[in-house]
Amino acid sequence: MNNSKISKLDKKMDKIKEKEEKGLLKEKKVNRTLRKFFNNKLAVIGLFILLTITFASIFAPIICRYSPGKINLTEALEPPSRDHIFGTDKLGRDVFSRVLYGGRISILVGFGSGIGSALIGVSIGSYAGYKGGLLDKIFLRISEVLIAFPQIVLVLLLVTILGQSLWNLLFIFILTGWASMYRMARARMLSLREEEYIQALKAFGVSDFVICYKHMLPNAIGPVVINITLSTAMFILEETSLSFLGLGVPLNLPTWGNILYAAQNLSILRNNWWIWLPPGIMISLFVLGLNFVGDGLRDSFDPSYQG
Amino acid sequence: MYAYIIRRILILIPMLLVITFLIYLGIELMPGDAVSFMIGPESAANIPIERLDELRESLGLNDPFIIRYFRWLGGILKGNFGYSLSSGVPISQIVFSRLPATIELAISALLFSTFLGSILGIIGALKKGSILDNVLTVAGMIGLSLPQFFFGLVAIVIFSLNLGWLPAGGRTMPGYEIFLDRLPHLILPTIVLGSSLTGGVMRYARNSMLESLNKDFIKTARSKGLPEWRVNFIHGFRVAMTPVVVLVGFRLPMLVGGTVVIEEIFQWPGMGREFLSAVRGQDLPLIMMIALFTVSAVLIASFLIDILTALIDPRVRLE
Repeated sequence: MNNSKISKLDKKMDKIKEKEEKGLLKEKKVNRTLRKFFNNKLAVIGLFILLTITFASIFAPIICRYSPGKINLTEALEPPSRDHIFGTDKLGRDVFSRVLYGGRISILVGFGSGIGSALIGVSIGSYAGYKGGLLDKIFLRISEVLIAFPQIVLVLLLVTILGQSLWNLLFIFILTGWASMYRMARARMLSLREEEYIQALKAFGVSDFVICYKHMLPNAIGPVVINITLSTAMFILEETSLSFLGLGVPLNLPTWGNILYAAQNLSILRNNWWIWLPPGIMISLFVLGLNFVGDGLRDSFDPSYQG
Repeated sequence: MYAYIIRRILILIPMLLVITFLIYLGIELMPGDAVSFMIGPESAANIPIERLDELRESLGLNDPFIIRYFRWLGGILKGNFGYSLSSGVPISQIVFSRLPATIELAISALLFSTFLGSILGIIGALKKGSILDNVLTVAGMIGLSLPQFFFGLVAIVIFSLNLGWLPAGGRTMPGYEIFLDRLPHLILPTIVLGSSLTGGVMRYARNSMLESLNKDFIKTARSKGLPEWRVNFIHGFRVAMTPVVVLVGFRLPMLVGGTVVIEEIFQWPGMGREFLSAVRGQDLPLIMMIALFTVSAVLIASFLIDILTALIDPRVRLE
């Protein structure tokens, strides 16, 4: 088995050498990480899915013929047709435009909380990890407390205390999500701060802030980006589950979860698949895309992850 | 070893104190106090304010916050968790009547996902790079990406509404008591919850198995001339499974509160559903106590797992 592998590699090398000798192999100027990312088929598929859904949501007003909130009781619960690609819901609203407009809120909440918690977690985590000491200990304990809660329990608890609204939900997600970012950034900084170039910068008397954010943080950017994509996937799943339970974004705003809320009704679940199937598939595709991209990024940033 | 256990306990206790303090703070934030719940607003209007203040004083409600906190904590340690606002039932009674259903679901989903996940993960590791491995990896990703509630809905529509093979919800039918009668009710929630956990276990098992297959003792076993299956399953598997078991151990207490969505969809009468109805009814004491209960379960379980891993692997203690 090993022999065949080696001969395969040999053949590959021979081909590359041949090309090189003929001068066909050009010096590639694209970033090595990016090139690796685009060589990963799944990652490219994921990126394609993400961009398609995101742009369709952004340009929803141009794509859709109907307003997502327009009620038309004469056309209630119509199956998919040429007029309404995904049919209509109980109030005669066009499901297709609701799904596209719903994507706006769901994606906003997902990326908003992903990036928000990364901003807070990484900026505290890198400084605390670099400086260590009491500050680091305090934040470490706080993050341990936050991580001990099952995420959905903590989120629901905060929803009860703060009340239900779009901005509260974003705030709650950031509040509960920064801890894992903090731990990741901190761990990265702990290993970086022993490097020689940091010692050199210190010896030159460069200020702590500059060392930490200008010289160390860029070296931790890979894990941060990976974490943002994966936690965005998690937040989108959470937002849609909460909205599905009727406890997330208020029902007057269409989000993917809110559209699925209708499926709690057994008759709609059984007879009107077009109302709940499209948003469900949309969520699954989007989260799948995020996971593919996150995985692709991980492979291209850090070769040691490749199993 | 004893020093390690004591060090871990010294970390555990302050964390539990901080969490109980936060939870008590949350309960205190609630508008109104015990007196305003004992005496309805109508009768309270007829009682002079001085009498209400006397009652507050005699119940100790005017004591400083920190003293009330420690009194409340003492009550918890004695098993007095307080009462649900909406039903008036003691919270300990609610928790203990709901817990068995959740644990039943959590354990069966964990068993399902552990078996399936480790088998598929090992197959992936042994056939690394093959089409089968790639298909399994993508399938695992899909499992991680499907929202549990959506997967649950699709399963209900297919298997109970259209095919009529399995019940759509509930834990038991009236009059049926033994476990076998309940089994059909358990199948769908187990598969739905289990599948969403399988992707993670699979990836973990695959990486762990790949790592252990690269170790020196595997080469030794192979050079001894042992058959391939023996090398893989007896030598490689044993070492690869330790981290997987630890992962599963961490997941059980997380599931005590983490089954909210599945329990709601399948009308499963467990802690998650109780928590959700408490959230809907703004029953703050019940919400807080269930949260406290789950967090304590997670913390104590991770403490036990740390001790266990330290027993198995002495290197851990030195950290």
